[in-house]
Parts: sequence; C-alpha cells; structure tokens
Amino acid sequence: MAFTSDLTVDEVLLIEEVGFEPVDLVMGSSYFHIGWQNAPWTTNMELGDVGRMMHGARRVALDRMMQHAIAAQADGVVGVRLELEREGHNAEFTVIGTAVRRRAGDGVRWRQASGAPFTCDLSGGDFWALVRAGFRPVVFSFGVCVYHVAHQTLGQWFSSVGVNTEMPAFTQGLYDARELAMGRMQWDAQAAGATAGLVGVSIEESSHGWDQHVIEMIAIGTGVAPIEDATHETHEAPRVVIGAQDW
Amino acid sequence: MANYQRPQTQRQPLPQHAAERIARMRGGQGQARFFTSDLSVKEFLLVREAGFEPAGLVMGSSIYHVGLQRGAYNQNQELGMLTQALYQARELAMARMEEEAVELGADGVIGVRLKINRHAWGEALVEFVALGTAVFARTPGTWKAPSGAPFSSDLSGQDFWMLLKSGFRPISLVMGNCVYHIAHQSLGGWFKTVGTNCEMPNFTQALYDARELAMERMQYEAQLDGAQGVVGTEVYEHTHGGWDSHVLEFLAIGTSVLPIETHEQPPAPQLVMTVNE
Repeated sequence: MAFTSDLTVDEVLLIEEVGFEPVDLVMGSSYFHIGWQNAPWTTNMELGDVGRMMHGARRVALDRMMQHAIAAQADGVVGVRLELEREGHNAEFTVIGTAVRRRAGDGVRWRQASGAPFTCDLSGGDFWALVRAGFRPVVFSFGVCVYHVAHQTLGQWFSSVGVNTEMPAFTQGLYDARELAMGRMQWDAQAAGATAGLVGVSIEESSHGWDQHVIEMIAIGTGVAPIEDATHETHEAPRVVIGAQDW
Repeated sequence: MANYQRPQTQRQPLPQHAAERIARMRGGQGQARFFTSDLSVKEFLLVREAGFEPAGLVMGSSIYHVGLQRGAYNQNQELGMLTQALYQARELAMARMEEEAVELGADGVIGVRLKINRHAWGEALVEFVALGTAVFARTPGTWKAPSGAPFSSDLSGQDFWMLLKSGFRPISLVMGNCVYHIAHQSLGGWFKTVGTNCEMPNFTQALYDARELAMERMQYEAQLDGAQGVVGTEVYEHTHGGWDSHVLEFLAIGTSVLPIETHEQPPAPQLVMTVNE
C-alpha cells in the first residue's frame, strides 16, 4: 500500500528496522480567536482563561490529528510538530506528524493506556535509538501557562534607577510561570501512562500580540515508558569513533 | 580579585509550584520516580550508558536591574560595578537551579545553559535563566563536588559520556566576566590613522585585557572548587540593553574537572566513514 510521509529516506529505514511502517501523513488544526483578560496593573498572576484557551486550541488540533491516525489504523505517530500562525487576534493551531503501524500486528502493546495511538516529536533516528534502548514513546505532551507580570509602581521605579539590583517580583513571576507550564506537561505525560519520564523537553516563551506584560510559557516533551518484553532486542554498548568527514 | 566574589546566597525555600513539581518527580511514598529532561534521545541513552539516570529538569532565574556606570571618555577601564552585577545575577540563577537539584537528591546537573532574556517591558532589566538536567548515579559513588554540592556542567550528554570514559568527572560550571569600557580615540589619533594600515594598540590592548580578566576569574573559580582543570571553555562577548557601543561584557564559561581515581584505560577511538554527508 502506498504511503505519504514527511520522513527522510534515512528515517523510513530506521523506523522499518525496529518493526514499524509509515502509514500516512496525519494532521489536525483549529482556528481560534484569542480573547482578552484583564489583570490588576501591579499584580503577578496567571491569566487562567487565556491559558486554558491556548491549551485547549492545541488540544483540539492534536485530537483531530489523532482521529486521522485512528482512521488510518495506526499504532502511533512520530515526528509530531506543533505550529501556530497568528493574524491579528486570530490564530491557527496546526499539528502534523507521520502515522506508523507495527508490522508484526502486536501494535496494541505500543499504544497509550487509553488504547489511542502513541504520539511523539521524535525523528526517525531518535525513535530507533529509543526503541533499541528498551523504551517506547507514549505521548507528545505539553503544558501552557499565560502569565501577567506586574508593573512596577512609580516609587519602586525611582528606587531602582541607576542601581544594580535584583528585581524579586519580576523574577518570581516568570519563575512561577515556567514551573506551572512544566508541571502541567508532567501531569499530561503521567496521565497518558508515560511511566518513566519525559525526554527532549523545551520551554518556549512568546507574547502573541498581547500587552507586553503578558507572556505565554509552553513546555513540550515526549513521555516515555520502558518496554516490558524480555525478548526485546537492545543495542550494543556505544563506542568511541572518529568520523572521517570532519577533518 | 578582592572585589570579585561569589554572592552569598541564602538558602530559601523553593517557590510553591517548584516544590510541587520537584516532589512529583522525586516520587517516594509509593510513587515511582518520574523524570523530565531536555536531553535529546541520544543524550538520554549515553547518560544511562554512563551509569546515570536523569532525575529531572531543573531551573533557576533572576531578573536584574542593570544600572549605569560611566567610563571616562578616552580611557580603557573595567566597569567594576557592572561586572559584579552581571556576575551576581548569573550566580543567583545558578544557585537556584542547584537548589532544585539538591531537592531532587541529584548527584549533579548536566547540559546547563545560561540564557539571557530581555523583555519589552523593562529596558534596563536583564533576565538570566539557568536550565539543565539533574542526574544521579545508579550505583552510589563520589560524584558530588568537593564542596558537597551536586556537580554542574555545561557538557552535552555525548560530551559527559566521553569525559567519564576518558577518566575525568565534572565538578562545576565555572565562569568569569568583565565589563570593559573601550577608550574613544582622540581627534589627533583619528587624524593620524586615516588612510593608513596599522594596528590600533589601544583597542587591541583593551579587548585583550578584558578577555584575560574574564578567563583569569574563571580559572580562579575552578581553583577555589579544588578542580584540576577546565574543559570546553568558551568566551562570549555581550552588550546589554541601553549600553554605549564602547562598553562590552566578556564572559568565559567552562566545566571544571577532576580525575576519577578508580578509572581504567580510556578506550582507543575507532575510525569510521559515514555514507551520508
């Protein structure tokens, strides 16, 4: 059967090598209006409504991609990418990945606890390396926090002019926002049955055309679990090699 | 060196959300450990191969108000106040990161990155963020720094594996910085050099001096930690918001190391030729 995918030739080979075949390029998207929430001028606080919306919009797109993958009878999706394109107050959230299926027909053991296909943002090479090391990807997880950083009062501003000093209120605000985003990503992964942990986590910070004091933190990573199968073939120990092309 | 010291950071309790996140990663009381890490899959595998397990992603940050200090117009000189401020801010961020690692019961932190953020809402404000993956050894051993704190290093998972294989262990991420004002030329000096090819000893001297100061301070930190050497040093040049174009910060960062006492011979490298470019 013909398949489409955005994998490179190397990636396809490596995925086939651990017993999977690409099935289809799957995608989901959602289009949202980004609303507004007021925050007191001098308070550090999370903007829960905006945050839930930014999370929900991506979740909807991800669920739609998942529907495609289920329809294609896939056991998982690799190389998942999350994209956001904003025009004024409207934004399109897109999720794209390549659905894969287990050749041996024992794909059920590779799926999430809920029976849905696994998802991950791993490349073909990383997928191969992870599986060879005795782990399986479970879920592409993310956590979002939209935060309002307090404005300084005039008095505070005067007292810091020309001085080198830490600004604890600002530090605290952003620290908190990052911790919340990471904590939520962690919940997400654990709920989907990633029992070991999360790899490849990145934290991005952006302001989607809001007030300068409003910041979105998003943490993204892939939750993994050990492969509980005594017959699973693992890789040999790495060796020190010198590549011939670098010099 | 007298006025160039690590800030005294008091141990403060972790902020609430950080404490909650750390507690969920640490597990215990019937809960299994659960790690998060910004290691790529390959790094993750090599770290495990080296006998370590990731414990969790750790982070610290500090937002600092960087004031002004004027340098004399036609003089090469260090701006000590600014040097100290930027140094303190980074140390604060790293100390907070280390605190999260201690809470996790980690032996060390690898892949530490120091990021500098500037936000549109504060021109004179600079945010320093330290981010890394805390790890612990599967079999207990002496991995912590001589001070008893978890080790820290900016080595990637691959470099960490290589370092251990070659018989060294990381001690701490060491750094030194220097904010320097580079003299403006006098009008006479400018006239003399128009149309000629010649070295500008003034400028050479200034940048040379500033780099040397930054590297010397880094070295000093490593010696304080009781390390034997520093690997992977990089020297960066920054200019921070609102500064005169004649003011530059030089920053030297590296990982200090000590030999592993019980280490056998490092493996001989093998030559391979890859078929892809």
